Amino acid sequence: MKHSNFKRFLFLLSLFSFGLAQAQGGITVSGTVQDASGPLPGVNVVLLDNSKGTSTDFDGNFTLAGVDPQATIVFSYVGFKTVEVPVNNRSTLNVTLELDSQSLEEIVVVGYGTQSRSEVTGAIATIDAAEIASIPVTTADQALQGRAPGVNIINSGAPGSSPVVRIRGLGTPNNNSPLYVIDGTISGGMGNLNPNDIESVQVLKDASTTAVYGSKGSNGVIIITTKKGKPSEKATLSFDSYSGVNFVDNRYDVLNSEQYKRYASEIGPTPERISNSAYASLSSHETDWQDEIFRTGFIQSYNLALSGGNENSNFRFSGGYLGQEGAMIETDYERFNFRANSQFTFGNLTIGESLGISFDKQNPERDSGGRSILEHAIKIAPYLPVYNSDNLGGFQGPSSSLDLQDAENPVRAQTLGELVNKSIDINGGIFATYELFDALTFKTQVGLDYSNGKNTSFIPSYSDDETSTNSTSFAQIIKNTSIYQSLTYTNSLTYKKTFGDYHNLELLALAEQQKIKFESVNARSTNDITDAVDQLSIDGVDLSSNSSEYLRIGYLGRVNYNFDRRYLFAASIRRDASSRFGANNRWGYFPSVSAGWNIGREAFMEGSSINNLKLRGSWGKTGNDNIGDYLYSSTLLTNFIYPIGGSAVQGTTANGLANPDLKWEETTMRNIGLDVGINDNQFTFTLEYYNNKSDDLLIDLPLPLSHGYNNPNLTSNVGSVKTKGFEFNFGYNDYQGDFTWSANLNISHSQNEVLTLNSSGESSPIYGGNFEGENLSAISVNEPLFYFYGYQFDGIYQNEAEVDAVLSANPNQDVVQPGDVRYKDLNGDGDITSADKTKIGNPYPDVVLGFNLSANYKNFDFNAFVTGSYGNDVYNTNIYDLQGMTRLFNSGVEVLDRWTGPGTSNTIPRALGATQNTSASDRFIEDGSYTRLKNLTIGYTFPMTFLNDAISKFRIYMSGQNLITITDYSGLDPEIGQIQINNQNTRNQFEIGIDRGNYPQPKSVVFGLQLEF
Amino acid sequence: MNKFKYIFSILSLGFVLHSCDTDGLELSNPSQLSPETYFENEVQVRSAVNAVYANLQTIGTYSRNYYFIMDNMAHENEGNPQLEANKRLFLDFSFDASSELVNQFWDSSYRGINKANFVINNEEKINEIPNSLLNQNLKNKYIGEAKFLRALYYFNLVTLYGGVPLITTVPESSEGFPRSTVEEVYTQIVSDLTDAANTLLPKATEEQGRATRGAAYALLGKVQLYRGNYTEALAAFDNIYDVYQLTDNYFDNFMEETEHNSETIFGVEFDDDMGNNAFWNSTVSGEGPNEASLRGQSYGFVDWFNCYPSDHLLDEFEPNDPRYKASFYEVGDTYAGGELTITEISLGRRAVWRKYQNYYKDANEDLQSGINFGIIRFADVLLMMAEAANEVVDQNTAIDYINEVRDRVDMPLLSYGLSKEEVFDAIVHERMVELAGEQVRFADLKRWGMAAEVLSQFGFRSGVHDLLPIPEAEINSNSALSQEDQNPGY
Repeated sequence: MKHSNFKRFLFLLSLFSFGLAQAQGGITVSGTVQDASGPLPGVNVVLLDNSKGTSTDFDGNFTLAGVDPQATIVFSYVGFKTVEVPVNNRSTLNVTLELDSQSLEEIVVVGYGTQSRSEVTGAIATIDAAEIASIPVTTADQALQGRAPGVNIINSGAPGSSPVVRIRGLGTPNNNSPLYVIDGTISGGMGNLNPNDIESVQVLKDASTTAVYGSKGSNGVIIITTKKGKPSEKATLSFDSYSGVNFVDNRYDVLNSEQYKRYASEIGPTPERISNSAYASLSSHETDWQDEIFRTGFIQSYNLALSGGNENSNFRFSGGYLGQEGAMIETDYERFNFRANSQFTFGNLTIGESLGISFDKQNPERDSGGRSILEHAIKIAPYLPVYNSDNLGGFQGPSSSLDLQDAENPVRAQTLGELVNKSIDINGGIFATYELFDALTFKTQVGLDYSNGKNTSFIPSYSDDETSTNSTSFAQIIKNTSIYQSLTYTNSLTYKKTFGDYHNLELLALAEQQKIKFESVNARSTNDITDAVDQLSIDGVDLSSNSSEYLRIGYLGRVNYNFDRRYLFAASIRRDASSRFGANNRWGYFPSVSAGWNIGREAFMEGSSINNLKLRGSWGKTGNDNIGDYLYSSTLLTNFIYPIGGSAVQGTTANGLANPDLKWEETTMRNIGLDVGINDNQFTFTLEYYNNKSDDLLIDLPLPLSHGYNNPNLTSNVGSVKTKGFEFNFGYNDYQGDFTWSANLNISHSQNEVLTLNSSGESSPIYGGNFEGENLSAISVNEPLFYFYGYQFDGIYQNEAEVDAVLSANPNQDVVQPGDVRYKDLNGDGDITSADKTKIGNPYPDVVLGFNLSANYKNFDFNAFVTGSYGNDVYNTNIYDLQGMTRLFNSGVEVLDRWTGPGTSNTIPRALGATQNTSASDRFIEDGSYTRLKNLTIGYTFPMTFLNDAISKFRIYMSGQNLITITDYSGLDPEIGQIQINNQNTRNQFEIGIDRGNYPQPKSVVFGLQLEF
Repeated sequence: MNKFKYIFSILSLGFVLHSCDTDGLELSNPSQLSPETYFENEVQVRSAVNAVYANLQTIGTYSRNYYFIMDNMAHENEGNPQLEANKRLFLDFSFDASSELVNQFWDSSYRGINKANFVINNEEKINEIPNSLLNQNLKNKYIGEAKFLRALYYFNLVTLYGGVPLITTVPESSEGFPRSTVEEVYTQIVSDLTDAANTLLPKATEEQGRATRGAAYALLGKVQLYRGNYTEALAAFDNIYDVYQLTDNYFDNFMEETEHNSETIFGVEFDDDMGNNAFWNSTVSGEGPNEASLRGQSYGFVDWFNCYPSDHLLDEFEPNDPRYKASFYEVGDTYAGGELTITEISLGRRAVWRKYQNYYKDANEDLQSGINFGIIRFADVLLMMAEAANEVVDQNTAIDYINEVRDRVDMPLLSYGLSKEEVFDAIVHERMVELAGEQVRFADLKRWGMAAEVLSQFGFRSGVHDLLPIPEAEINSNSALSQEDQNPGY
């Protein structure tokens, strides 16, 4: 892929160089140039004395007129060994070129340009189309997992949900998401792209590559290039399809009906539902609620693409459909993608466009009372039936008074009525380049990122029991719409020239403006008259609308210089202004410098088996303006409602304190890299070390609670975090013979530490990750971001003496009793107070790896792909539900072995014990390390002899995802992706590593076929 | 030719640089109002006042936590197994500075104070509104409402937490305020209520739901009584003795249809028809339509049934006191407008709450309740007048006030000639049965010095649990406070 990309690039160049070759005296020599796989277009065909030259056409043919019969013709093509052929009076020369991996040059896309790999001085990881398309994923970003060192992807199992993407770990307590640039257009993400449309993904990781994006570069940049038609390509139609199933096959081990009934009667009064025979018809079931919420879902995907091109134009049109029924009931995702990319050249002018449209529809997991569906499935009484036609809505659930518990029927919560999120997304750009004169090119581009979202929900009235514990007497209707529109205008001048054979210089001057407009209208109402109409009514109306704008202006200057591609140097400076910054701090500068030494090109390395050896280093500053609009201004809120005189009146008050000094977050990055290639790149090795320091991080300094502001924080640029780590990438390729194979291993390590949280030095921790009224995570100085915070579990008090020994300062208390949890009294004050809480875990992994093994034998191909994450802790809140016993709910079978008297258990406390038993503690922390066979594929490509002329490729394959996971984690999935349910009490970024019954990733098995015509 | 190209490229460079419009960087939020341009007409002033009221409807205060905190601590309640852990803490006095409800009540109350200060601080701006647009009496009235509510929030805080930071302005920096003394807080409360009493409208001319002159006097009297200033208490109460009247039917005070009556002085308004969408989200701030209370659902015996009335409370009622049947249901009672009969009570409880439940008309609570949350009603005032009179006037005057309350429910009247102690005991009894489940008993026990005697069996420790701890989050976030400022024993 890289290879043909390069052919295309060179072919274009050669068109320019030799388009004006003219015929003179001598003989005319013609012929065909090919490589092992067929004719080679664009090969330079030049006389040794440089007096004359041409290049091969699309079929590898060349014709050179006026050639001296005794001349020597040089055939060269980058990536191939150069061949010199004496003419010797022949008029036909057929030449075969051999691959030369030493000079094979990969072109990488960087910010606002391209570079050949050997000239790169920064840290860039590349993921190619084959890797992205090799796994059936619903959103393209999921496919990046394990593919590039320094990129950590945490997937969720929910259909259509984008993963958490972190480049080089965490550098801020705020938004750590990278910047996405699709074909030069700054975009909100890549979730709506069709994975089949992606040509390559470049991940920019250090300042020399990201500082050109100024106030948006701190979290790394992901550059996506979509597939284009190739200039040399005859029109090709390709069709890809797969279909299969996905399912979740592991379960929490909870009590069955008989066990639950016994447990309920043991720990408290027997619920009337059990004791009263009048309810026998409802209390005699054996419902496996987890089986009820999971299912085997069908997945299917179809893609059709037509592409082609000639010297002056190329095109690619594609359409795709993806449908996934999730492994959880009524969770589905469906997406239609259309893309048109084309490009036309008229002399010095090139005009092109890249345009993608997607329509997607998602039925997400629903948010029932801030709890996940899985949590309800664990907690609900197993003796109840799922359905009961006597109840409004047709479901049966527990009632507080009869069952003494109030978990919701998860099947009703997830399936009654409808919840649909739809969106139409347009992402594209139009560009024109004009070569003003030799070496100076003007480029202008307009990019659009547009999303029109529509979320609708209709929940009819229901009552899960004759009593009203879980019921509403009216239908609830929600209709929310939003429009997001981002327009980016970029104008640039590029000057690129080689002086005196060795001095390669490229200059860039650029101006950019990005404008974002966002509007939303949110409407909800109830309808207590009917369930038959799913439209808004005038009952219980709650209306709101919101709009915001954002403007960013930036100027960039960049110089790239190298001497003989041996000594590399680059520097850039960007000046950015953003409407998100306060008036006192509106403009910022973001510089970078970098240098590289291609030791492999030095004379002393001649003849060494080391074909590539490069040392490179960079330094620079980047920013993060992803801080929210209007944060610096003070505002009033008007949505305080109160009944006065029988009608609802509106109240208005001040939202909070303003901070006019607010500005971007800034990261200073240092990177050192080493690239090694041995034996014509049969072995490759890359090492990166980075050391970043982020300053001016926005911290919500908590105002005193007693200030009473609606916004209880004053956001200020006071925090700083250092992040450092290293990345290895090992590759091995064997491309000789019938059996070929390649292996690639990448390993990343990243660790972060908070240096300061406020300006005065002394600061209290910032807490988040609220669960059952307690915070699970914290940020504090000298600790990693979002570490878990709680007590240290120290067994169970077996007798009164043990209680008194720990709570010595409080001997008369009778709250904590034998059978309750003993925590370590860290400060030794003879009491367990919040001062005894400490760091009990770190949610960010020490090491993330990806290992890919591909092999081909004749027409068979095989791929195994393993991902892993090590050293990360998970706070498993499911254990609270399984073993908490705070009040009656269904629980894990472990509660049968709970403490019931001295010596009965030292791990599971007594039922309904002291409230402290379920306080945040390391009892709920588990090692979240895992190794996962992410993908296993076996394919077969039918030999050409099998196929008729119309079909040029026919491959079938079978693949399985997530088939094997090796982990000690007790939950359903050790990979804790973005939770879908809406938890009002915590900020999203604190959710890392907290398993709230998150949607587990399913296993899937698919069959696919690929056809080319 | 080359020259032309140079010129062209310089021009395009100019185009590149010029194409950006730097004026656009100065954006203001189109979705929100700015404080600089506020308080310019009556609607704006009124709206700022309304927000102070809306703050009463939070989960942290009156729509959920307050009745759990007060009823559980006073042991008017006992907990069923389904009572959530964070509320159970108040039954056995095991809460600490990090307890959620301790924090939320504080947080939410101060948010009310901030909203009140937003009005009171802008008095000058409000007074600049031309009188033709808003006359001076109304300007004063709006500020009076804010002062009344600020006093109410501080009164709740000072009785629960002791001397709290006294903040009477809208804070302009992140600098914290230190704790004030109990005395300083009370002085501010009395001053605010006195101002309010002078500027608020009488009940007859004010919109239903707003604070009135009578409400200001009633609360002022209560505050003076709590401080032991009996003469001042009586003086305040005397202003309203003729304004309010007990209803004929005791239960009228607890039905949605009759909750605004001659006895009503001030309460938190709820109206579930106005929406409850923000219900669970409105933990402390009161944002959004959350116009329903969760009390019915929480205590309701066919609903969540978190709590049930304690034997200690039930036993206090004299036989045949009709207030027993008005406050509780027992097996055999009918509900849902007489359509349903209670044949069995879950968990075998002796009685369940009826007061503030919707069962008088409905078969179940259906989550949200529109019944208002009484803060002060005339029967309470009469019993407080009796208490003050018993101290500084004479016993027979006190007995007259008590008898007004007993007479309404046809209970035998007390005869004259009781000793001061006997009258006091009668007041203790009468407050307990008349105001059962109305969140006054814990404060009563404390100020009567009876808390240890009654509650120590449940874990109450004198000198510690008289006050809730200052929330940990306040101590952590307030530079003017340290652990040394914590209430004793926490």
